[in-house]
Amino acid sequence: MSASTLRGLMALALALVMPAAHAHLTQTGFGEFYDGMAHLAVSPMDLLLVLAAGLLAGLAGIPAARFTVLALPAAWLAGGLLAQRWPGLAGGEFIGLVPLVLTAALVALDARLRPAGLRVLVVGAGLIHGAANGAAMTAAGAGALSVLGAATAVVVFVTLLAAESTRAVAGWPRVLVRVMGSWITAAGILMFGWLLHAAR
Amino acid sequence: MRRVAWLLLLLVALFAGRASAHELSMAELEIRETGPGAYVFSWLGGGRVPATDELTPRWPRACRGDENWVACEGPMAGLLRIDGIGKSYSAVLVKFHGRDAALHVYPLTAAQPTARLVDLDNASPFESAAAYANLGIEHILLGFDHLLFVLGLLLIVRDRWMLFKTITAFTLAHSITLAVATFGVARVAAEPLNAAIALSILFLAPEVVRRWRGQTSFTVRHPWIVAFAFGLLHGFGFATGLAELGLAREQIPLALLMFNVGVELGQLGFVLLILVLGRAARRLEFDRSPIALRLPGYLLGSFGAFWTLQRVAILLRGLV
Repeated sequence: MSASTLRGLMALALALVMPAAHAHLTQTGFGEFYDGMAHLAVSPMDLLLVLAAGLLAGLAGIPAARFTVLALPAAWLAGGLLAQRWPGLAGGEFIGLVPLVLTAALVALDARLRPAGLRVLVVGAGLIHGAANGAAMTAAGAGALSVLGAATAVVVFVTLLAAESTRAVAGWPRVLVRVMGSWITAAGILMFGWLLHAAR
Repeated sequence: MRRVAWLLLLLVALFAGRASAHELSMAELEIRETGPGAYVFSWLGGGRVPATDELTPRWPRACRGDENWVACEGPMAGLLRIDGIGKSYSAVLVKFHGRDAALHVYPLTAAQPTARLVDLDNASPFESAAAYANLGIEHILLGFDHLLFVLGLLLIVRDRWMLFKTITAFTLAHSITLAVATFGVARVAAEPLNAAIALSILFLAPEVVRRWRGQTSFTVRHPWIVAFAFGLLHGFGFATGLAELGLAREQIPLALLMFNVGVELGQLGFVLLILVLGRAARRLEFDRSPIALRLPGYLLGSFGAFWTLQRVAILLRGLV
């Protein structure tokens, strides 16, 4: 990897991490539900996780994809609502990066996970990111409706992505999906490095 | 079925307040602009209880008020809400006098306790048009009952041509009554209107189930006629969004056009999203699962039944 590519990736990672530090909810002007939906679109860490989960679910086949499009938003909603009640449940940004990097790495490696393994990963990722959302939304003064909005956005994104990536059965489409997985992994690792650097 | 009946009865019992017979009257809130961002207000109430005892104005975000004055960062614009309507006062008439002697009147009720104050006097035509379109988008996106009705129609239609006819019929119908209501040719009280809109959703739910079972009915064969008929009703509902603005007569044509454009944009976005999600769901073979196929119809029916009972209860409470 050339120095300029590395610098570009570092800048990208910085841009991705920065919005997560803001303690306010995006204002759409259409109320808390839509603010919650928009929150996902402007939270790169969450968006990348949903992207990775959708791709992984699609690669794992239709039954796994079907489970993911139901379980990920449900876990997201549960985590969000629990963290709104008990904000201490939400882990830091480091914890949020673990399922992101893991999921994206599995996409890049085209790993064949057992169904139980995929279920644990999807539910765990949903709970962790949902809890982080819920705590951030509570801090911003938003209520349960915003968490419901975020979970609805997860439904939309993950359903569309999972459905499309189930088409990538073999050949170049599958390679393309794996490349996307590797880029998300790289972005996740760089975000991790940046958070580590900022924490010092 | 019996369980469902008990459940519905329980919901009514939970959400219906105690019925009480009391005299209802109208209060008047007069707001007068005295300088840039400075306003004074006063209450006029004809009831036995002083208006200030029960009615509390919630000023737009950029404003703060005291006993009889309000200070805003710039012109007063945004959502004005009056808390406490429906106790002794059935309605509040907000009269807003601008410095240029322009008068805007906003009738507020318990069913619609908010008024959207827009600084139209200082806005360019483009800004006004954008504000009306934005309001239309907001009205459809926050009107979950309207969206659920559209969802019900989408679940019934069989092919693209029927989809086009149905959505066009709904659009045409609600545009007619939106215009009729905005120009003041006809008007429907909010409480029975809301109950009837809820009933329209409840009406569609069994039709969705019928369609799923492969049975037929008038609605399944001609969804566009049903869309047109109920669209007339929903148009009156959309008109409440424009009524919030307290428009002067010369502003009505532009407001009506752009508000309707906003509603159509929001509706089109929703229809496209549902179509794309439906395609993805078929790709994921959700259509092989009887539960997934039944769910939308039952969801529609549950919301329709709940809203119908809740809104009929509100209607009856108002009549007692």
